[in-house]
Amino acid sequence: MIICRCEEVLLRDIITSIENGAETLKAIKMETRAGMGICQGRTCRVLLEQAIAPYTDITIQETNNIMYKNPVRPISLANLSRSGKDSSQ
Amino acid sequence: MKYDLVIIGAGPAGMCAAIQAASNGARVALVDENPVPGGKLRGQVYKEPKSDWWIGEKIVRSMESKIKQLGVTCFLEREVWGIYPKWKVMLNNGEQLESDFVLIATGAAEKAIPIPGWTTPGVMAIGAAQVLANIQRVKPGNRVAIIGIDALSLTIAYDLKMAGVNVVGIYLPPLNAFSLEKSNPLKMIAYLSSLSHLAPNPMLKLLGKLGQIESVQKLGVNYYPPFGMKVWGIPLHLRKAVVEIIGNEAVEEIVVAAVDQNGQLGRKQEKRIPVDCACISGGLYPLVELANAAGCESVYIEELGGHIPLYNEELETTQSGIFVAGNSTGIEGAKVAMAQGELVGTVISIRLGFVEGGPELIKKAKEKVNLERENAVIKFHPGLENGRAKLERLSRIRE
Amino acid sequence: MRIKKHPILESLERKEVQITYNGKSYLAFEGETIAAALLANQIRILRYTEKGKAPRGIYCGIGHCYECRVTVDDERSVRACITRVKDQMKIISQGIDADEI
Ligand SMILES: Cc1cc2nc3c(=O)[nH]c(=O)nc-3n(C[C@H](O)[C@H](O)[C@H](O)COP(=O)(O)OP(=O)(O)OC[C@H]3O[C@@H](n4cnc5c(N)ncnc54)[C@H](O)[C@@H]3O)c2cc1C
Ligand code: FES
Ligand code: FES
Repeated sequence: MIICRCEEVLLRDIITSIENGAETLKAIKMETRAGMGICQGRTCRVLLEQAIAPYTDITIQETNNIMYKNPVRPISLANLSRSGKDSSQ
Repeated sequence: MKYDLVIIGAGPAGMCAAIQAASNGARVALVDENPVPGGKLRGQVYKEPKSDWWIGEKIVRSMESKIKQLGVTCFLEREVWGIYPKWKVMLNNGEQLESDFVLIATGAAEKAIPIPGWTTPGVMAIGAAQVLANIQRVKPGNRVAIIGIDALSLTIAYDLKMAGVNVVGIYLPPLNAFSLEKSNPLKMIAYLSSLSHLAPNPMLKLLGKLGQIESVQKLGVNYYPPFGMKVWGIPLHLRKAVVEIIGNEAVEEIVVAAVDQNGQLGRKQEKRIPVDCACISGGLYPLVELANAAGCESVYIEELGGHIPLYNEELETTQSGIFVAGNSTGIEGAKVAMAQGELVGTVISIRLGFVEGGPELIKKAKEKVNLERENAVIKFHPGLENGRAKLERLSRIRE
Repeated sequence: MRIKKHPILESLERKEVQITYNGKSYLAFEGETIAAALLANQIRILRYTEKGKAPRGIYCGIGHCYECRVTVDDERSVRACITRVKDQMKIISQGIDADEI
C-alpha cells in the first residue's frame, strides 16, 4: 500500500528502512524519499508519523517540532533568485 | 510594496479581516493561490436550524464586492512560499509584500487514510467531492462510496445526494495504523452521539439523536442491521469496512468486509460493489507550515486538529506582528472563522492607530467569536472546548 | 456528469469554451477549473507517475496534493484543480512520454 503518493513509497519500504536501522523520521525520509515529494509532505506527513509510531518511542508531538523550512511550497529557481532569498536563509 | 496588513488566505477568516481592517482605513493586501476568493466557504450549502439556507457562494460574493469597494489589493493565483523577518511575504511569482502585520489564514488540509488502491483515479479526499458538486457543478461520480464517518463526510454525503449523485453507502475505513478509532464501530456510535442537535441537515440530526440514546449506544453495534441503516436514503454502515479499492485506469469496485464491534475484520466473505468514485474522509488538520517556518512556536492539541501555532487571546502568535485566524487556529466552522477574522482586523487597526476605544472594541469582537462558537451547527471534534482550554492555559504560561 | 439542476443552488450562466486535452478537443465552461471540465467530459486520468507510470487523477481538489498537475500551454506542472479553463487552452497530461523527453 502506498503511503507517500508523490514519491510512490510503500508502507513496506518504510518498515524495511526501520528494520534496517533508520532511527529517526529524518533518516527514514532520506532513505525512502517519503515526504520529500512535490507536495512537501502535506498529504503523507501525518501518515509517516503514524506509520513509525509503533516502532519508536518518539511521540508525535516531538517528531514534528520545527520541521518546516522556507520555501514551504515548490517554487522555480528563477523566482527564488529574483526574490533574493535562498532556502538556507 | 509596503502594506499596513498582508493577509495570506482569502477564505472566510482572511476576507473578514480584510474588510474589517480596510474599512478602518488600513492598506490591505490579500493573497490566495486560488483564482477566486472564498476558500472552503464557497462549497458550503446547508439549512440553518431556525432560519434560511446558508449558501457559502452568496456570502462570498457579497464579501468580494465589499473588498473591491474598500480598495483591498488582491493577489489571486499567487502561492505564498515563505515569510521572512520582519515581515516580508514571498509570492511564487517573485514578488514580495512588506508589512509589520501579517495574518496567516491558510485554513486546513485533509488527513488521509490510506487504503490499498487509494491512488487510483476516482478516489479522492471527501472535500474534493464537495468542491466538484457544489462549486464546479460536476458530479464526482455516478455511483459514489464514502469511507469514513464524521461530521464532514455526513454533510458532504447530503450535498452529493442533493446534487443527484447515487451515494451507494457510507462505510468505515479498515482497521490499520492510520484509521485508528475511525474504524471502530463502538467509538463511532459514541462519536455520532456528540454531534450537535443543531446539526444542519436531517442526516446529522437523526444520527445525533440516535447516538444519544443509551440503549442504542450499548446494543446498537451488535444489532446493527447487516444491510446498514438508511439515513435520508443513504445506507450508513457501521459494521462494514472498505478494505480495498479496485480499478486499473479508474475506480471500478470497492471491496467491503464485515467487522466486529471493535473494527476487527471478520472471516466472512468479502463483497465487491461497483462504484466509479470513492471518497475518503480522515478529518482535517490546520495548515501551519508558514507559521512554523516563520519561527512561530507550535503546540500539539489533538482536539483542535493537531499541531497549531501558539497564540494569545488576540490571536497573535509568538512572533510579534504575525496573527492567525480561522482553521489555522484549530478546526471549527466558517462563522467562527469569520468572527476571528474580524477580531484580528480590529486588533491590528487599533495597533496601527486607525481607531480609538480599543479595549471595548476588542472585547466585543472576542464576545462575537465566543457566541459563534456556542451556536456552531457543526462540531468537528467532540472535545473542542477541552482543546480550547488547554490552549489558553499554554498561552498564559508562555506569557 | 454535469449537475444541470440543483434543488438549492442557482443555475450558473456560463459561456462555452473549447479546450484540447492530449490533442483532442472538448467543450468546457468559462470559469470552471481544468479538473472539473475534464471530469465533465468523463476524463479521470490527469497524469502518470514518474516511477511506476501509474495513472493519477484529482485527489484533494484544493491545491494541496499536486496530484492533478498537467502541462498547460507549455507551462509544466500547473494544478488542474485550481486553474480555470480559457478558450483554446492546450492541456497535456504529464508522465506518459517522460522517457522520450
Ligand atoms: C472540505 C471541507 C468542507 C467543510 N465544510 C464545512 C461546512 O459545511 N460548514 C462549516 O462551518 N465548516 C466547514 N468546513 C470547515 C472550514 O474549513 C471552515 O468553515 C472555514 O472555511 C475555514 O475558513 P478559513 O478562512 O480558516 O480557511 P479556508 O476557507 O480553508 O481558506 C484558506 C485559504 O487560504 C488559501 N491558502 C492556503 N495556503 C496558501 C498559500 N501558501 N498561499 C496562498 N494561499 C493559500 C487557500 O487557497 C484558501 O483559499 C469545511 C472544511 C473543509 C476542508
Ligand atoms: S505524498 Fe509524500 S511528499 Fe507528497
Ligand atoms: S487535486 Fe490536489 S492539488 Fe489538485
